[in-house]
Amino acid sequence: MRMSLDIVGKNMIRVDALSKVTGKAIYPADVYMDNMLYGKTLRSKVPHAYITVNTKEAENIDGVIKIFTCKDVPTNEHGVVFKDHEVFCSKKVRRIGDPIAFVVATDIKTCDLALEKIKVNYEEIEGVFDPISAMKEDAPKVHEGNNIMYHYKLRKGDTEKGFESSYVIAENTYKTHMVDHAFLQPESGVSYIDEEGRVTVVVATQYPHYDREEIARALNISEDEIRIINASIGGAFGGREDISLQIHLALAAKEIKRPIKVVYSREESFISHSKRHPLIMKYKTGADKNGKLLAMEADIIGDTGAYASWATNVLRKAGVHATGPYYIPNVKVDSIAVYTNNPFAGAMRGFGATQPPIAYEQQMDILAEELGIDPITIRMKNMFKKGSETATGQILTESVPLEECLNKVLEDMDLNLDRKGAY
Amino acid sequence: MIIKLMVNDKMVERDVDPTKRLLDFLREDLNLTGTKEGCSEGECGACTVIVNDKAVASCCVLVGQVNGDNILTIEGLEKNGELDIIQKAFIEKGAIQCGFCTPGMIMSCKALLMKNPKPTVDEIKRSIEGNLCRCTGYTKIIEAVQQIVEERCNNE
Repeated sequence: MRMSLDIVGKNMIRVDALSKVTGKAIYPADVYMDNMLYGKTLRSKVPHAYITVNTKEAENIDGVIKIFTCKDVPTNEHGVVFKDHEVFCSKKVRRIGDPIAFVVATDIKTCDLALEKIKVNYEEIEGVFDPISAMKEDAPKVHEGNNIMYHYKLRKGDTEKGFESSYVIAENTYKTHMVDHAFLQPESGVSYIDEEGRVTVVVATQYPHYDREEIARALNISEDEIRIINASIGGAFGGREDISLQIHLALAAKEIKRPIKVVYSREESFISHSKRHPLIMKYKTGADKNGKLLAMEADIIGDTGAYASWATNVLRKAGVHATGPYYIPNVKVDSIAVYTNNPFAGAMRGFGATQPPIAYEQQMDILAEELGIDPITIRMKNMFKKGSETATGQILTESVPLEECLNKVLEDMDLNLDRKGAY
Repeated sequence: MIIKLMVNDKMVERDVDPTKRLLDFLREDLNLTGTKEGCSEGECGACTVIVNDKAVASCCVLVGQVNGDNILTIEGLEKNGELDIIQKAFIEKGAIQCGFCTPGMIMSCKALLMKNPKPTVDEIKRSIEGNLCRCTGYTKIIEAVQQIVEERCNNE
């Protein structure tokens, strides 16, 4: 009996379509409340420095309600995996854009004026801006201890033997760049104390439950005293997985007990949130005379910038996916995440699986060219099929329609390729 | 300064700082928050509204510059509870994801269809060249306008 499908294969109307085409969908910046105050964040202008902060003059400005710094946060730390961010930097800034203080005032202009009047004394220290230098013993340290914050190792078979029996070996280094999600709606939020006395934060977030946990921890209150309302989200793509303004807003509402609104400018959005990890990928791939892959080694180094965010998961995924969809009997992968004083890197669509294809697919093309076979043939010879074993030892027991997919692409491309010759 | 202008077919008269951005005037003074702010410098098109039949970035226009003008925002498209043909096409074609570019996209398409009822694909692309989308991409948005054009041709 065939299952009847009500949704699969049919065009469904989005539940939020009507509210979005009429402009009625509420994003956090669309929330206006009575008696509402505005908040703005003071951010580091230098990438690596010891700081002292003086807010006295700014506090005396008419209309400034309160200026929050590290002294006001019960537990001054957060982070999705490692708690390596500070809510407000206490002694040291580690990147341009690190939050130092949060001004709450009656209007945005007063916030801006107060930001100018906060005195930050930067005692600049040497920074490190590329992960290769950061891995050296004598490199400036971004946090306590070594800059290498994660090392994933994958070992399968014996790569040395694999290269010995290879007829052709390609050895190349590939680099990818930092990317910003540039979601169209810059970070914004409104916080207030609700009718049940809960600290409430209206925000566009990928993780309302994480946000609640992080706020509870930082403010040292229980999770049931906090309510996160996820408004409409104007794009995210991984860029809303880390805390941005949630703790600042919650802290301010708890202390001031009035609604507070924050809207980042596009510039602040770029400066404050995570990026895609730039990777340096050193690949060595060997194949026999017929183009059958025999061995692969990959050294992958990811620049996670000033904070870990999801670096462990991203670099692990890059390592797990390092062979691409190809069966290779002997594999050695080292995938490393390194702290630098660059903007921090975290989740972004693909989560570490996006960058390695730049390397492994070019390796395939180069091997094909050296062997004088075409790039499709070499892929057909090595691609995962049902029953293949991946480099991590997983047997692919379910559908693996890669060959079918490539054949369909070839059909549609209508390429009259000489499948034997290189081009 | 007293500003008088038509917004969504209604006369609006307000005493307002003429150097206020039209975007802020719409959102804060008139509570029309359907118009979005994405970049504040006329790059992303999320704040697009129609001023006298022309699509403009309302973040780059001061309210003093539109005194006496006729403004149409996303909230003004629905007539007597009936969605505009473009709103319907966006829903049917799934030309919406996060929705933040949607009001601006729709207003750019509306401005196009107001002066050109049967635009070509190139003309559609040209009309939304000032609107950025980061989720769905542009294909479904273009298809939504094409659907309107096709229906118009079929009905002739």
